[in-house]
Amino acid sequence: MKIQSLPFLGVFLLFFGGFSSSAFSQSQVLNGTIVDVNNFEPMPGASIYWEGDVSTGVVSDLEGKFSIQIRELPDRLIISFVGYQTSNRVINPKDLDKELKFFLSPEEMSLDEIIIQEVRPDEQVKNLETGIVRLPIESIKNIPALFGEVDLLRSLQLLPGVQTAGEGTTGLFVRGGSADQNLIQIDGAPVYNASHFFGFFSVFNPDALDQVELYKGNMPASFGGRLSSLIDVSLKEGNREQIHGEGGIGTISSRISVDGPLFNNNSTFAVSARRTYADVFLQLSNDEDLRNNRLNFHDLSGKFTFYLNDRDKLSISSYQGRDFLGLDEDFGLGWANWVSSMQWNRNISDTFFFDLTGYHSEYKYFVEFDDPEAGFEWKNRLSESGIKAQWTKLRGENLQTYWGVHSQYYHFAPIEVNPAGGSAVQPLATNPKNGILNNIFAGMSYNFSSKLSAEAGLRWGLYNQVGPGVDYLYPDDNPGENEVILDSLSYKSFESIKFYQGLEPRVAFRYLINDQFSLKTAYNRNFQYLQIASNSSAGLPIDRWILAGRYVPPIRSDQVSLGLFHNFDDNRWEFSVEGYYKDFRNIIDLKNGANVLFADNVETEILSGDGWAYGLEFLLRKNVGKTTGWLAYTWSRTWRQIEGVSLGQKYNPRYDRPHDLTLVLNHEFSPAWSAGLTFVYTTGQAVSFPIGLYESDNQILSLYSEFRNEDRFPNYHRMDASISWKNPNKGKKWRGSWNFSIYNLYGRKNPFAYEFREITNGNINYDPDVDGPAQTVEPGIVMTYLFTFLPSITYNFQF
Amino acid sequence: MKRLAIIVIGFLLFGCQEEVDLPLATIDGIVPVIEAEWTNEPIFNEVKMSLAQNYFDNKEPVIIADATVSISIPGTEEVIPFIFVNASNSYKPVSDRRVAEVGETYELKIEWKDNLYVSRGLMLEPPTLDSLTYKFEEERIFRDEGYYISAYGKIPFKEDNFYRIKIIQNDTLLNDRDDYLLFDDTFGLTFFEEGLELNYAFKAKDRIRLVLYRLNEPVYDYFNQLVGLLFTDGGLFSPPPQNPDTNIVTQRGNDQAEGYFMVSPIISQSIFINEEEPDPEN
Repeated sequence: MKIQSLPFLGVFLLFFGGFSSSAFSQSQVLNGTIVDVNNFEPMPGASIYWEGDVSTGVVSDLEGKFSIQIRELPDRLIISFVGYQTSNRVINPKDLDKELKFFLSPEEMSLDEIIIQEVRPDEQVKNLETGIVRLPIESIKNIPALFGEVDLLRSLQLLPGVQTAGEGTTGLFVRGGSADQNLIQIDGAPVYNASHFFGFFSVFNPDALDQVELYKGNMPASFGGRLSSLIDVSLKEGNREQIHGEGGIGTISSRISVDGPLFNNNSTFAVSARRTYADVFLQLSNDEDLRNNRLNFHDLSGKFTFYLNDRDKLSISSYQGRDFLGLDEDFGLGWANWVSSMQWNRNISDTFFFDLTGYHSEYKYFVEFDDPEAGFEWKNRLSESGIKAQWTKLRGENLQTYWGVHSQYYHFAPIEVNPAGGSAVQPLATNPKNGILNNIFAGMSYNFSSKLSAEAGLRWGLYNQVGPGVDYLYPDDNPGENEVILDSLSYKSFESIKFYQGLEPRVAFRYLINDQFSLKTAYNRNFQYLQIASNSSAGLPIDRWILAGRYVPPIRSDQVSLGLFHNFDDNRWEFSVEGYYKDFRNIIDLKNGANVLFADNVETEILSGDGWAYGLEFLLRKNVGKTTGWLAYTWSRTWRQIEGVSLGQKYNPRYDRPHDLTLVLNHEFSPAWSAGLTFVYTTGQAVSFPIGLYESDNQILSLYSEFRNEDRFPNYHRMDASISWKNPNKGKKWRGSWNFSIYNLYGRKNPFAYEFREITNGNINYDPDVDGPAQTVEPGIVMTYLFTFLPSITYNFQF
Repeated sequence: MKRLAIIVIGFLLFGCQEEVDLPLATIDGIVPVIEAEWTNEPIFNEVKMSLAQNYFDNKEPVIIADATVSISIPGTEEVIPFIFVNASNSYKPVSDRRVAEVGETYELKIEWKDNLYVSRGLMLEPPTLDSLTYKFEEERIFRDEGYYISAYGKIPFKEDNFYRIKIIQNDTLLNDRDDYLLFDDTFGLTFFEEGLELNYAFKAKDRIRLVLYRLNEPVYDYFNQLVGLLFTDGGLFSPPPQNPDTNIVTQRGNDQAEGYFMVSPIISQSIFINEEEPDPEN
């Protein structure tokens, strides 16, 4: 139940509609249900009224149902919903005995405008939320995609305030936060590694998703645990009418989803699967070395929903995904997520709701090397289990309150290296790390007047690192100085090792200047009790997650934001400008040459400091009409200041990209033909280039400035385009569509990396051992770039 | 892991490379580079000093020949003076009878212009290197077909276990970035007793010399960071590039130095690869 995320008035109307209709006896009312003709999903919020009498109209409830008082029959009933064709049907007396179903068809517009209208057209001006973006899945599907693989996280990178680390990667850097500061969750359960293929694709099969919400500013107090953003992904529920499916056959993967009623129309299922076939292509190679390799990933997800009665709904969802890279038969690297959750939503009354979520998320990786002398298996696993209960109470028109508890248990299993039989590799195992985080939260939103509304919340996190585990003791309690271990302490299961607690206040105000303008401001504090110990910009499957403990305090952020929101042209256009300032405490970096992968005392490899970020985000968005999309521009800066890095002076992390411009366009030429265009322009990444060369240990080494990231890659820009054709005949059982897309339309060579090295005989590929003696050896710069003019084609289908 | 990522990119992501030109900043001032080695083997004992140059200068390194170099034993009056030798472009001890002795701490002092550079190192006890052996191996993943050498010995130490092995193949030091053999006791040290196999495919009739160093931790870290820098590809999977942390302190002056002062015992063994049986040599 995401009742708090709906505008208060809308919620009131929905429930008021349901309540008021029940006040009349069955003989005086007409009952019905409104559903979408395409997916048979119920449509909440549709307007139902008798022709010529809008004032006595009602609104369909959350399940698409309505009851309307009858006049003299026969009469003409009008059903309307923005983005759908208005239905207009004559009702006769005999219809009163039936449960009528009304199917609404989308207007012949692009899918974007239909979905966006799930919220009120003036939502962005009227609601209290700031720093939140809802990106309809159907909009994401219309964005031209790399390899034709529609990707949720890469689509989010097109939004203001969201930066990318580099070409093709799915890592998100939200308002100056690093990638591990994003809480990515599926149906309430966190995903620890949301990427496939080393970050080039995300784990989300778009067909399996219902919606995604990105909170980059004011997170409600019911959410927490990460500093910078919440990416709240919901899996699609099955429809209650009939089996429905969709899927696609793409350049590197295929996918299929099927949903429908399970046992009866009170239970539904939705299952989906996706698999790449890169390894199939490898088999076609002439190179035997390539043929013997395996490279693939898959995703499986399922959601089962049970409508227990009028008031209770139970959902069980699970996602499992796995990557595998195999070289010959001897080497393998794999990683996998398995995320499961169960949600119980209960409407205690028309104004009182209860939501209970239990979940378990597990991430693991393994490296196997089959070798008689040096074979080993290296593996690690981490998990989070949690339970969250939330109560929401509507208290009249102007007050909504919520409160709840959220308990989380983290278990980071030992990193283990086990030698194969006969191998000379020595076994290794670190100590496990465990933590318990209990959160209590409460919040309320209140309309002081028709113009001024406020939302306030408080989250109190009580964190305890617990055993089993080992802590090391250092001189002066400082692990960073000389790494000398004085002693160690062992802890039994659930024995307290280190306790932290933190209050996280959240406050937001909205002032409605008029129906078209509003001002919003928010303050938000977050604590985060776990993070990745890494100083590379892209995540790796073997990244080391660490928990807060004796030497690593939780990281903290404080963010203030102020925004102006404006809708115009009858809400067809949305404009917003938001400014923010964000302060980070206790964020970490690694020492030069740090080895954190196998270290049991990672604290000796860590440097700690502070950071800050600020920016202005502009967004102009068109939600309805034949042409939809948005233009976003962000000016932002991100800084870090950590003793031991850059001589203790402030520096920019790699993802500090002051200027970021994005244009996303979709146009529907006809019911059959549509096109998409994306243009991205950003400042180049902040990096360190060498300033000189020197010789040491018979090597020519690049000399770097003591100050980090003072150089920049060239500015990044790229245009992608796609064109789609779909069978406009909605009556057909099987509806196919084709999507042809081109990534990097004009072939811009955006650098992925610069390598500073010697170049022999003026040829970057010259190898003196193979090609003959060197005539000249000169220092040079070799640029690696990816994806110039990359076409792809995808066949999508529905049945 | 980074290399695996590159493999994936290579397989799938159509990466291309080309030489480009970028405007690079230049060195502000001067950066002296010191490479000082003090061991139990006179031939290895020397101090090299040069200047770093701008990236695109592409000239022979500027050798510093006018420094005053010495090594002393702190707490004593003993000073071992060095003198610049043109033939080697380095400073050598005036007397090669003096070498590093186990258990002593040595202090390097270099005075050049207004700068005084100082560093210290402890001469550690060497491990035991008993023998070398070899056997022929078929091609496997990550390794070519050839003769693989195993070193047998014993490392009995509880601490200061930081080692480097250099390989000399037919009088040529293997010196690519792949050739650094650095290990500590993260994965234990019993593998040295059971035979540490060197990941080189040698040919028959190769004469191989293995040189083993036991390093002080800062120097071990220096070489580890140096290797990391050699493998930095500037991409997302690499950490931000940094100069290896020098263990040389600029005690006076403004020109910070790069480089290292290594005090280490050296032990070595050689082996000649016959096509049939191993033939250990000393």
